[in-house]
Amino acid sequence: MAQQSKEAARAAVREIGRLTVIRLTLYYVMAGVLLLCLSALLPSDAIRPSGGGQPPTDITGAIEWFRGQVAMFPGGAPRWLDALFQMISAFLLVLPLAFVYVRTRTRVKFDHSLVQTVIVLPIVVTAILVVVRDSLALAFSLAGIVAAVRFRNNLKESGDAVYIFGSIGIGFATGIHAISVAAVLSVVFVVVELALWKFDFSAEFDRTFARLCLPGGADLAELQAMRDGAKPMESGDDGEEKRSVTLQVYVDKVADARPRIEAILDRDAKRWTLEDVVDGNGVSPRLTYRVRAKKSIGMEGLRERLLREGAPHVVAADEPPPKS
Amino acid sequence: MSRLTPPVTERDHALGPADARVTLVEFGDYECPHCGALHALIHSAQKAFGGNLRFVFRHLPLRSSHPHALPAAKAAEAAGAQGKFWEMHDRLYQRQSELTDEDLKRHARVAGVDADRFEQELKERTHEARIREDMTSAAESGAKGTPSLFINGEAYAGPLEREELFEALAHAAVAAKS
Repeated sequence: MAQQSKEAARAAVREIGRLTVIRLTLYYVMAGVLLLCLSALLPSDAIRPSGGGQPPTDITGAIEWFRGQVAMFPGGAPRWLDALFQMISAFLLVLPLAFVYVRTRTRVKFDHSLVQTVIVLPIVVTAILVVVRDSLALAFSLAGIVAAVRFRNNLKESGDAVYIFGSIGIGFATGIHAISVAAVLSVVFVVVELALWKFDFSAEFDRTFARLCLPGGADLAELQAMRDGAKPMESGDDGEEKRSVTLQVYVDKVADARPRIEAILDRDAKRWTLEDVVDGNGVSPRLTYRVRAKKSIGMEGLRERLLREGAPHVVAADEPPPKS
Repeated sequence: MSRLTPPVTERDHALGPADARVTLVEFGDYECPHCGALHALIHSAQKAFGGNLRFVFRHLPLRSSHPHALPAAKAAEAAGAQGKFWEMHDRLYQRQSELTDEDLKRHARVAGVDADRFEQELKERTHEARIREDMTSAAESGAKGTPSLFINGEAYAGPLEREELFEALAHAAVAAKS
């Protein structure tokens, strides 16, 4: 039941929302139309003469004919105007990435400078490629300049690097006039990133393990036990550590009580590990365990059994609240 | 070190077996915030020690600083006369800011107490004598403030923190066994 409500809460929090999808779709349609118009108005190369007054029947020919009709610069746009068009393309196609970044980050993980970087970076990359294009000498110069400048910045999240790479990719594509590739990259990036966020893919090891490695309907808990093998907890088993609780058992004599307690734990706990033994020094003897009780018994039941079956050696079985 | 006087008898309100290794007696006041904090701790101790712990409550309403403490104590006793002392006790500590006469009647209703009898007993001051006995016991035992604790008859002067109190209870349990 608790698991179900947890799932529901997660689903409620990770709702992309219809408005977001509609906004993104509308944006891509409008940006696509705008870029098509701009590419027709500002052709990068000279347009082949269309030959007659009627448009050809095949699509490629028809597009070429249309471009010939509307082109402001049939002989190819001036270099500065062409560069401006490429930079505008980069800007338009990278905006959805910034939007997705803002949508999928929490207040804590959000890095406002990264949003600005993601928007500006493809414009700069495009400009660099416009300058370098076809010149091996300029490319080597660029490599030299990049090597000389040290960029060192710690990202808040390793996933933020993907946005930087995505932004560079869009800049690269627009910089070499592959605007269609940039558009595809932008759309695919946005869809994949939103989907991963929505389904919180791989956030929990157990859920991911169940999805990827277990047959449908398998009992995760049992298979986990089989997979992990030994009963005592492995150090570094974080998921197990979270589900287990501290159990402090006050006893009269450690030597007498311990075998009895551990026999009960072997029987009634799914996993347990001894964390501390206090014996002597003027304080009451006690044993501290990390325990995960069997579901059918529960911590309450386990404590009762320790008190009942551990008597007279077990004085108390306390589950102290976690230290903040 | 002062000792509990008189010792726990059948007249006391007690939770837990009579032959428990440890008997923890509290002199408490329903309006005292420290007693309220201790209430949760005692619940945890009862869970942790199980049948090894018997908890006894005696009234010590500090009338000068807590005007609602005495009526609350009377209400608890009136509920106790109908076998609902611990239900009322828990409710009063869980709602320490709701101790007016009207609140007390409401708590009694929720606790399942017969309202007419409850009000009648409060009006006739039926349980005042018993509360006075508890207060006399506190004075004889050296308990001046609330909460005052006695573990197996001996005053507990340590901090009212989980670790220290549990340690003292466990120590008393082991000492009682040997």
